[in-house]
Amino acid sequence: MKSRTLEKTQNNIGVHEEHPLGVQPRFKVGDRVQVRDMPYLFYTRSQMWARGVVGTIAALTYSDLVPEDEAFNVDGRVEQYYIVRFRQKDVWPEYPFDNDSVQTESPERWLEAA
Amino acid sequence: MSLRTELGQEREIIGTLQPAIHSPQNWNYEVTGPLYRAYMHPPHDVGGQFDVSIEHEEKEEEQWELNTYVTCEVLAWRGIWSAEERRRRADNDLGYTMYLGMPYYGRWIWSAAKMLVDKKHISLTELMDKVAEVKSRYEE
Repeated sequence: MKSRTLEKTQNNIGVHEEHPLGVQPRFKVGDRVQVRDMPYLFYTRSQMWARGVVGTIAALTYSDLVPEDEAFNVDGRVEQYYIVRFRQKDVWPEYPFDNDSVQTESPERWLEAA
Repeated sequence: MSLRTELGQEREIIGTLQPAIHSPQNWNYEVTGPLYRAYMHPPHDVGGQFDVSIEHEEKEEEQWELNTYVTCEVLAWRGIWSAEERRRRADNDLGYTMYLGMPYYGRWIWSAAKMLVDKKHISLTELMDKVAEVKSRYEE
């Protein structure tokens, strides 16, 4: 794996982010995003339960290789990762409590503006 | 038990694994969209699926599990694979039946062996001979 030049910044939840120079995050905290329904093709870490659900960017974490590339030893694209927050009721319609939320981490390519 | 009897029992077990969706399947040409997606769905993405209740038990790792963990980490340390490749192989490539049926570290060591063969670090015949040799040693 080739080494990358990193700069450290701190985000709003106190997580130290590592931004490889040149990676420009597409979303900011508070943006509404929808998880894409990409084809199932050999590997992903993006969960089925989140597909198609609209949520909110809760934090920017770091940038890194995307799992679909790294899993096949492709030292390619580096992307911004986000913590996305969903209403539980938006994920599971039968969920009984209105105010509960659930968060997951996602690389940028799995998100689109909602 | 004779080898042929053992193989017969094995065939019966394989038969029970096959109709995993409870309808006959035999190299269908007509695979519907939803069924295709179900086949392609990565086995480790289990969130939201129903399951039977299981008993929680406090269990320490067994020695073979620790050995497996260290072996896989050392292979990563030496640049032979990454944690992500291990996950892809051990959680996806082995398929649903094995994913659900094997112990956690059983999947790790399966994927390490397969990876070493895939990348030509060891040959399959070499591995086969070694496993047979170790097996016979334990049977003595």
